[in-house]
This record gives sequence, C-alpha cells and structure tokens, in this order.
Amino acid sequence: MAVAAGLVAVALSAAACGDAGSGSGSGSDKPTLTLYNAQHDFVEDMAKDFTAKTGIKVEVRSGDDFELANQIVQEGSASPADVFVTENSPAMSLVDSKGGFARVDDTTLAQIPDSFEPSNKNWVGFAARSTVLAYNSTALKPADLPASLLDLAQPKWKGKIGFAPAGADFQAIVSAVVATSGEAAAEQWLKGLNTNGKKYQGNTAVMKAVNAGEIQAGVIYHYYWYKDRAESGANSKNVELRYFGNADPGAFVSISGAGVVKASKHQEEAQQLVAYLTGKDGQKILADSGAMEYAIADGATNNPALKPIADLDPPAVDPAKLNGPRVVELMQRAGLL
Amino acid sequence: MTLTTAPSTASRPGGGARPSSRRRRRRYPRALLATSTLVTLIALIPLIFVAVYTVGVGWDEALRLLVRPRIGELLWNTTRLALACMALSAVIGTGAAWLVERSDLPGRRIWNVLLVVPLAIPAFVNSFGWVSVTAAVEGYGGALLIVTMSYFPLVYLPVSAALRGLDPALEETANALGNGRWRTFTRVVLPQLRPAMLGGALLVGLHLLAEFGALQMLRFPTFTTAIYDQYRSTFNGPAANMLAGVLVLCCLLLLLGELRLRGQARYARLGAGSPRPAARARLGIVTVPVLLALAALITLALGVPLGSLAHWLITGSSTAFPVDTLLTTTATSVGLAAAAALVTSLLALPVAWLCVRHPGRASTLLERGTYFGNALPGIVVALALVTISIRYTETLYQTVPLLVIGYAILFLPRAMVSLRAAIAQVPPVLDDVAHALGATRTGTLWRVTLPLIARGLGAGAALVFLAAVTELTATLLLSPTGTETLATEFWANSSNIEYGAAAPYAALMVLISAPATYLLTREARNSR
Amino acid sequence: MTALTVRGVTKSFGSVPVLEGIDLDVPAESFTAVLGPSGCGKTTLLRLIAGFDDPDGGTISFGGETVYGDGRAVPAQRRRVGYVPQEGALFPHLDVAANITFGLPRRARASRDRVAELLELVGLDAAVAGRHPHQLSGGQQQRVALARALAPRPSIVLLDEPFSSLDAGLREGTRRAVAQALRAARATAVLVTHDQGEALSLADQVAVMRAGRLVQLDAPATLYRSPRDAAVARFVGEAVLLPATISGGVASCALGDVAAREPAPDGPAEILVRPEQILLGATGVRARVTDVSYFGHDAAVRLDLLPGGPAVTARVHGHDLPAPGTEVRLTVTGDAPSFPVTTGAVPVTTSAEVPAAR
Repeated sequence: MAVAAGLVAVALSAAACGDAGSGSGSGSDKPTLTLYNAQHDFVEDMAKDFTAKTGIKVEVRSGDDFELANQIVQEGSASPADVFVTENSPAMSLVDSKGGFARVDDTTLAQIPDSFEPSNKNWVGFAARSTVLAYNSTALKPADLPASLLDLAQPKWKGKIGFAPAGADFQAIVSAVVATSGEAAAEQWLKGLNTNGKKYQGNTAVMKAVNAGEIQAGVIYHYYWYKDRAESGANSKNVELRYFGNADPGAFVSISGAGVVKASKHQEEAQQLVAYLTGKDGQKILADSGAMEYAIADGATNNPALKPIADLDPPAVDPAKLNGPRVVELMQRAGLL
Repeated sequence: MTLTTAPSTASRPGGGARPSSRRRRRRYPRALLATSTLVTLIALIPLIFVAVYTVGVGWDEALRLLVRPRIGELLWNTTRLALACMALSAVIGTGAAWLVERSDLPGRRIWNVLLVVPLAIPAFVNSFGWVSVTAAVEGYGGALLIVTMSYFPLVYLPVSAALRGLDPALEETANALGNGRWRTFTRVVLPQLRPAMLGGALLVGLHLLAEFGALQMLRFPTFTTAIYDQYRSTFNGPAANMLAGVLVLCCLLLLLGELRLRGQARYARLGAGSPRPAARARLGIVTVPVLLALAALITLALGVPLGSLAHWLITGSSTAFPVDTLLTTTATSVGLAAAAALVTSLLALPVAWLCVRHPGRASTLLERGTYFGNALPGIVVALALVTISIRYTETLYQTVPLLVIGYAILFLPRAMVSLRAAIAQVPPVLDDVAHALGATRTGTLWRVTLPLIARGLGAGAALVFLAAVTELTATLLLSPTGTETLATEFWANSSNIEYGAAAPYAALMVLISAPATYLLTREARNSR
Repeated sequence: MTALTVRGVTKSFGSVPVLEGIDLDVPAESFTAVLGPSGCGKTTLLRLIAGFDDPDGGTISFGGETVYGDGRAVPAQRRRVGYVPQEGALFPHLDVAANITFGLPRRARASRDRVAELLELVGLDAAVAGRHPHQLSGGQQQRVALARALAPRPSIVLLDEPFSSLDAGLREGTRRAVAQALRAARATAVLVTHDQGEALSLADQVAVMRAGRLVQLDAPATLYRSPRDAAVARFVGEAVLLPATISGGVASCALGDVAAREPAPDGPAEILVRPEQILLGATGVRARVTDVSYFGHDAAVRLDLLPGGPAVTARVHGHDLPAPGTEVRLTVTGDAPSFPVTTGAVPVTTSAEVPAAR
C-alpha cells in the first residue's frame, strides 16, 4: 500500500514537472523556438549563445539527418519545428523537395559563399566536413593506400575496411559517388563494400576499430580524428588520415545545412536563428568549439591544425542534386541496410 | 502471498452448478465491459496499425522490401540468437534452480538472491559493461553470452518456484519404485518443471526479439536494431514498418506458444506450499566445482558489468559529474515511470476484474487482447504511435501523454498478470459477506477489495515502473522535445563512445531498478 | 411471531427455472434447516433472502417489514442479516477481532469487550482475537464467521452449508457450538444443507426442497416418521420401501404384517420401514445375511428375504452380530407410514446411500 501511495505521489509530481517543462517561455513575450538538430552538441552551444544575445529561447530535439527530415515531412503543416539543421545536405534536399522550407533571407545568404548553398536558396550551409580514409598507420603505409574511394570495393580490401552505413554521413558520401559516377557504378561499388567491409554504428566506432587494428582502414569524416587528437588521442593514436583530393568522390565535402521550416509559426525569429548560425558570432563559436568542423562563412577562420578548406580539391557536386531516399534504396539493394 | 492463501479460500469446490458462479456468468456489467473494450483497443493499436500499413504498402512493394539478402541475414541472426539464448537460459536457469532448491549447496540463500539480481541490470547496461572493456564481445558469441547473462533469471525464477511447489512425495515414490536420483530427476521432476521452464524460455525469447540497446552496442544486427537503423534513415518509412511486420509475426509465434503453455501450466503451480521440504541431494565431492561454476556465472552476469560500471564511474574520462543533468534526467525518468505505472495499473484494473469476476468468451477475448504488448517491441509500438499521432491526433504528438500511452501498451501485460492473480484470490463471497454486514459498495471496495489486491496492484505497478525506467526505444521516438531520460542520456553518451559520461546514468538506472526488482522477485516467490 | 416470510418466490437464470414458487415461514428465535440435494435451489433461496440477488417474483418479509416485493427491494447491506457462507470466508487481511467487528459501527469497532463476548458465545478462547484467519483451523474459522455474523445483532442469521468443508471429526463439535451460540443469542437462523443428519439434529423445523420447490416443512421427527412421499422418505434417512396391500390398518408385505400408520386407506400401497424397525430374532420371516457393515455403535445388516425375496437392510446394535451366510428371522416393530400406489406394481427399493448429494 505504501509503495502504491509513493508511486502515486511521484507520478503526480512528475506530471507537474512535465507541465513545467513543456510550458513556453514564461515572463517574456518572445516565442520559444524548436530546433530539430541532427548536428553535434556544438549547435546547442550556438543556440545558447543565440538565446543570450536575443532573449529567444531555443528547445532542441536531437536525431539523425533523415530521421528528422522525414519527420518534418510527415509532420507537414503541423510540424513543431521552426529551424532544421543537419550534418549533411541530402536531408535538407529531402525536406526542400517536399516544399518544407521557407526561403532563407538574402542577408543571411550573403554571409556564405555560393558554393555552400543550393541553387534555389531554400536553405543555407553553415558548416562543412571532408571525407577521409582513416587508416591504421602500423598496418598500412601511405604507399599501400588506395588512390580512390572507389578502390575499396576491390577484393584485396576484403575484411580490412569498415564504415557506418546506417548513418547519414556515409549515406551522403554514397550520394556523392552516385552524383559523380552514376547509379550503376555506385551500386557495383556498394556491393563490393558490402562484401569487403565491417559495419559499425557511427564514425567514432569506425575510427576506434581502425585504432585497435580490428580493421585497417575506414571511411569517416575528418573531424572525428582531429577532435580525438585534440582531446587525448586515445582512439586515434594509431590512426592517420588520407585525403583523396583530386576531385575524387572520396574527397567529397559535405555541407551541413540550416533552414527555416515553412510550417514555423515564428518565421521572423527562425530567420534570426539561421542568420545567427551563418553569421560572425555563430561561426566563431563553431570554429572555437573544438568540433573541428569547417566554419564556412566569408572571413571565418578555422583551427590552424585543420587542412585548409581551399586545399581539399573536392569533386564538383551540386548539393541540391544529392538524393537521400534513392541512396537508401540502393544501399538496401546492396544489402547494406 | 501468504496473506491471501488462507486455508479458507484455498480450495473452492469446483462445482460449476453453484448458484454463486451461475450468478457471475450472467450479463457483463455494461460500464465495465465498455471500459475494458476501450483498454484492449488501445493495447491493440500497434498491431492493427502494422496490419493496415502492410496491406496499404501493397504486394509488390512489400515483396521488394522483404525479399532481399538483408532480411535473410536478419532472420538468421534473430533466430539463432533467440533459440540459442532460450536453450542456454533454460539449462542455466533450471540447473541453478535445482542446485538452490534441491541440493545441499552451501550458501543457498545468498545464491538465491545473486541469481535474481541480474534482472536489475538492464541488458543494454550489461552490454555496455562488457563492450567498454573489450571489443571481443562484439558479434554473435558475445551477444549470446551477454543476453543470456541478462535473461537467464527469467527461467530461474519460475523453475525454482515450481520446484518449491513440487510435492516431494512424488520423488519419494519414484525413489521407492527403484529409480535413482538422476532417473527420478529426468522422469519425474523434469516433466513437471517443463511448463515453468518453457514458459520462462519463451519469455526470454520475447525479450530477445524486442531487445535493441544491448545488441546495437554489440553490433549484432537483428530485426529490432534494423528497424531502428531504418528509422534513422527514413523516419517511419515503409521499410521500417515492413520489418516491424515481420518482427511482430515472430513475436506472435512465441506469444501463441506461451499462451498455450499457460493453459497447461496449472498443475505445476497448484501445489502451492508443500507441507514439508524435500530431502536435499548431497553434492559431495562436486561441491567445490559446482560452487566455482556458480561463482563464474555470477562473475559473468554481475561482476563484469558492475565492475566495469564502477571503473568508469571512478576513472570517468569526462571530467566532473554533470549533477544538474543527472538530477533532472533522474526526476524525468522516475516521474515518467511512475506515471506509466499508475496509468497502466488503472488501465489493467477493469480488464483484470472483468476476466476474473465475469469469465466468458468476451472477457477472455478482451484479456488476451491486452497480452499482445508482450509481443510488441518498443520500437514497433513507437513507430505506430508516431505515425498515428502525426496523422490523426496532432495534439498528442510529441507529448508526455502519448509516451505514457506507449509505455502502457508495452507493459499492460505485466500489470495484468499480477492483478489477475490478486483479484482471483479475492473470492466474490467476501463481497457478499461485507454487504450482509452492512458495508456499502464503496465501503466494501475500501475495506475489503483494495486491501486484498493492494499487493498485487503494487507488484504490477512495480513491474511496470521497472520496465519503464529502463525503456529505451519507445522513449527515443516518443518523448517530447527536450525530455531526456536516464536511458536516452545513457544511450546518447554510450553511442558516442563516451563511456565515462554514460556510466552515471547506467548506475542510476541500476539503483532505481533494484528495489522494484526486489519486490518483484519476492512476489514471484510467494505467489506460487 | 414470524421472523421471516417468503411468499411465492420465483427465480430463473436465463431460461432455467431455479425456484418455482417458494412459500416459507420461519418463526422468531427458531432454527430452520433448508434441506435438499445440490442444485435444488436452496442456496439461491438463501441468497434471495440475504438480498445478494433479487427474485423474479414473490415477496420476502422480515417480521412485518417487506424487504422484497410490492415495489421494494432493500439492498443486502440494509437488511441486517447475518451471513455465514461455506468455508467461513473470513477476510484474510484482518485478524479475528477485526473480522468480528467488521459489521459494527465505526466507534464500536475498537471495543474488545464485544469481541470477547462473541468469542465466548461461539466457544472460542479470547486469545484467538489477535490471530489471522490462516492461523485458525477450519472449525475455528467457522465459529469466527458465526461470531462475525452475530456481532451486529442481526434479525436473522443465514448459514450456507457452513460445515460441509470440515473434517468429520471437527464437524460434530462445530455444529453443536454453532447451534448453542445461535440459541444463546436468541437468533433466528436459517441453515442450508444437503446433510439430512445435520438438518434433523440441529433444526426446529426442516424444509425439504426438490427441483426448485419446497416439498415438505415439518419438525424433524415428523419429517422422519411421516415423510410426504417416498422420495422425501429416502432423502431424510435410510429407507426400506416395500410394496404392500393395506386392509383394515394392516399392511401385508414381504416382511409380514406390519401396522400401517394412519391415514392408511385400503388398497395397494408402498410402505416405509426404517432399518432400525427391523429386528433380528427367533421368529418372523426368514432371511439370509449377505453382508454386515460394522460401525461400532451399531451395524447395518443386509439381508435377502427367503425364499427369493427382496433385499432389505436392518440396523442393529453392535454386539452379537450374525455372520454373513447365516439364516435369521425378522420382525418389524412399530407402525409404518404408507404411500398409496396409483399405477402398476411398486418396485422394492432400499436407499442405501443416504443423501446422494455431492
């Protein structure tokens, strides 16, 4: 009986808690924005700074690129989301293709180079990351490394490589392969990868496996390695990075996008947030956050440890053309999903 | 439940012709029937959704999504893991139960406790404990080891209860007929333990099919983890829902087996409270090896995960404890779980009452309907609720009530089992007696019925609470923006391989689960 | 004064009639047993009197007050009946004292005096007050159940087969204690039972029920000596029923000439001889002993009448028993009631298994 009474009391207090949590900004008449964040924690730091500067509160719902993108599409006009930020652009294209974004303010677009924006300007890039091959420096010498990402499908890499197929990161890279080499070649390549590779949950796990010698090399983004090196190097001391360059699909630079959700009832404030993310203050927080992703605004300075963004020599890919759902279908066919 | 098995109520004559039972077979009370129907319909939402969705996807698309190598791989993985884990759990659980109940094993009381404690460690925390120490446990072998260590108590508990209820006279008779101890065990004891053993093993199977966190961490893909991967790639797309359909079919298969067993299980449970304890087998020279084996079992099941947890707590790479976050997530978890316990118990009450007090075809059907929660992985329930709420009930979308409804659907069977047993032990004649003594309907409820079912109600609520505190997948999908529970925070940190940061959340989950686990096992022990 | 009046009460469950017009009067401070085989509707009748169920028709009155009928239906909790169900049905979560005081007003529940008084009334030690039901024997539980029923001083006490679940050894003592307590409390009691010995030994009057009807209501001795028909005769005790021809108050039958009790119109009839009326001796009709069941205090001797006559049972003292196979002679002592036969020959029946219930 006492247990039951206790539970009831706790339940009631919890219900009260829940009410307080979901209540909108008390005291001020400024709305609370809901940010669907598929990016890392640094976006939350940016949001906090935004709140400090504008007094507009931001609630963050975390998820993965396509999870949240599909969610916004499903939610349609009822979406509670005001702003959406992703790690990779295919998820932005998905929302955009369903007419889910409001056009970004011109002043905001002016802060970012055109190459980091889709042609229709319905969303805007605010960060970028480069594809790399992380390899175990004791198992492989630079001379052993493949010249192209596509080479990893060759039988000689069987059992030696790894990647994280369920994540949007890898799927973005696949979409770049599709964009540069065509669907048929991409599918062949995916089948090869399915035979050769081990599948991991996320890039950190891939890097860890490379570091431990479980696999010799893995496809990841650059910043996982820099971040770990900057902290302790515990998961990267045996790992070196190979930048493919040379306009290879393996040199693909993925754009993290930000957009104002069309269903947002706080358009003005949402535009403010996107402007902040791409503006001087936001970009500075990004660059200083230790996230090691590239800040891309005109005039932004990145951590000197990073390979300069100008030296990456990526393939020319229109971000608007990267097709997420088609890539998932291809990967399902190849057995990776 | 020593209280409610007083000799006065223990043996009701089965005379179906007694007018009191005839009276109960009359029409169903309308309000009760309506409430129960509503509850059952809520419980069936995900199942109906999956069925309707599958039909809606169409044959060609379904075929495209289902007939591909990945599905074969998942089916193979899921089957071999489930079957092997069920078999291992049955062997370990039964063996350990026999040692504790029927042999002169030293320290039986302590072993008895230690063999149940693994239930307080959620499988994904156990998995975390292992994988943060060695990557060698990734893959099939490690997955099998870890899930078995997490779930074998589900067999141990019912089998040891059955052993305790077994009339030793049967074994003595077998001995007298010239059977040795081993032959007596295989020919007399084992057949009688079968219902308990199989029931426990099927429960293990159902848990396994729904298991997400542990297997995801061990990189062993099964249907449940694949659904989550699909969800991450496509939100609630058709591929995820088709996989859910296959998974539900597997679960229903096990559930059917479990339901059939439940019918036969009776004779094993009837012999409650045997008057005298059975003679214990002498272990003799095998005492030491047996002790070592049990110690090894406990080391694997408890030592490694708890040790590793302690290690990460102490050496935690991620600086100081985020006390604020810890406190708020704990409050959220406890609050949500308590709300789930309350709501689920309240939902279970009318159905349990109907099926015990007004047995009949309709009430049986309604009761069975609530059992499907047992066969529905959290991810399936969550997917259904997300899609339905987006389309039809926007006001519920991303709210605490929807999350609590999800918990209720998942955990209704747990509340039902305890409540049914409790209500069944309150004979209706007590109501008559109370009425004759002048007590009103409400008076009878407060003075007789509630005190008598309080323990069952509490046990059921504790079970739900325990399950909800550690629930991961439904919480990930259904919780409102900004709501973080211990399980989701733990998951976020351990997914980023930030083991030190994840450890405090895991420790808190274990701490919160412990009392409920204790209550649960005490109840399981006494109720048979 | 009449404490309970039942008039024309009917009840059916679905299409199955259970009670078909019951009339019953229970005098105040009397003990009435309702006797019948299982399924005859006696428990239903008790439940209707208690108010747990409503009749389909008829009236039920307590003293002068109608509790059911004429548009009134007083609910059970306001009828002030005491109810002692099968197996006692003590509240398992309450101790003996709390069980006994359950029906008392809130303020009176704390009083230990009333508990002690009632425990003494039912012949239990005051020390059991603090025990829980599962710590009591079956007989003790029944006594506590009675004490609980008597505590609010009910106008009428209803007992539903309260002794049927007790061991034979406990049953007799519990019966006596309950009967004494009921008399001491000057309660009006209605006991439902299928055990004719229980009904005859405890009650002031016995109502025999059969298939939803009340067939006979009489004092125990009258019922036993003058049952209304052969079926009642068999039901209330062991009976030897023989075809006979009655002429001038004498019945001629296989046991010779037997005095026929009035009324005994001339003509073919069936007569009822109780086994204890059959004496073994040196004179009378011949019979061969086939079987002897020895009970200590007495014995049942089964005999075949010679030559080739029907089988009868005699109840004799336990000493000096004949061995099976020996030939004896039988006479009948006392008079025997008879039932006129309407059609054809009457088969000889000896009801060996008295009440065939359970």
